[in-house]
Amino acid sequence: MIPGLVQILLWQGAGELVSHFLLPAIPGPVLGLVLLLLFLILRGSVPETLAFVSDAFSQHLGLLFVPAATGVILFLPQLREHAWAVVSALLASVVLTVGATGLVLKGLSRKASRD
Amino acid sequence: MTRPLPIHEIWVYLSGSPLLALILTLTAYQVGFFLYVRSNRHPLANPVAIAVLIVAVCLELLDMPYAKYFEGAQFVHFLLGTATVSLAVPIYRGLRELSGRMVPLLLALVTGGLVSIASAVGIARSLGADHAIVGAMVSKSVTAPIAMGVAERLGYSPTLTAVFAVITGILGAVLARFVLDGLGVTAWWQRGFAIGVAAHGIGTSRAFSVHPEAGTYASLAMGLHGVLGAVAIPLLAGYIPSFERMV
Repeated sequence: MIPGLVQILLWQGAGELVSHFLLPAIPGPVLGLVLLLLFLILRGSVPETLAFVSDAFSQHLGLLFVPAATGVILFLPQLREHAWAVVSALLASVVLTVGATGLVLKGLSRKASRD
Repeated sequence: MTRPLPIHEIWVYLSGSPLLALILTLTAYQVGFFLYVRSNRHPLANPVAIAVLIVAVCLELLDMPYAKYFEGAQFVHFLLGTATVSLAVPIYRGLRELSGRMVPLLLALVTGGLVSIASAVGIARSLGADHAIVGAMVSKSVTAPIAMGVAERLGYSPTLTAVFAVITGILGAVLARFVLDGLGVTAWWQRGFAIGVAAHGIGTSRAFSVHPEAGTYASLAMGLHGVLGAVAIPLLAGYIPSFERMV
């Protein structure tokens, strides 16, 4: 487990450096993700220790955003004031996004199978 | 000779250390996860939503300011970055399996991502939501750890972004089935991918519980949307006129 964690922290560090010096608009961890992804593509397989740590993280990813999400208590008055806008935007947006993505896939694959 | 400590001294000691916030966070999540499993992983019993509710009620009862709680809980929060990097592994696995359908998947992803931003920002703005709320709408369909990083860089609230992302995930997991049925999208891979684009991690775990092929495609969609969102949203933010008018 430790070698996997060390590797991930090193990629995160590399991502932070790239973000700081080259691409300040993109968060360091995302650049770390991209660098690690390129490394995996070049390597052609996932090291076992890395897979172990990654699976542990993805299983309980939700735990990690509990501290930040709890900050919603500071926004309660603001959210209550704009409740209608928030609920409509979130609801309509998710329905439209699912629908648009699904329809594009359906349309494109029907065309592909006809050709 | 030691005299027994009065209860409030124990309390002052405990609440000053990160331990209390960590215990609170992990216990609340544990309870949330337990309820989620007991409900047969129903999306409405989302463990994050339950945990946030429990922590919020506890902070209220303990009269503990959020800033003080976060001082302790930041150790959990820090791991978000590390977890983001480790998302490379599931994305890599997905890419290896699915190279044949890349073109339609990417076109669908770009369409879904743009519809998500345009509809959420457009509706929230037209109904009079303020700058902080509209800004947090921008990356809400991207998986929460990445969305929060992006929001922070753009000067929007990571907290509201995380909350909107979780609500979006829950709504997507519950509603996607009806939308896709209504539109006649029947292939599992198409259904899974659509849920993953719109409702990231929460939608993905829903997709896995319905059909493994849907789950694999949902997870790929979530990963690709995360990377695309992180790169494209900061670029778009400078060019969409509505972003400037908002300030």
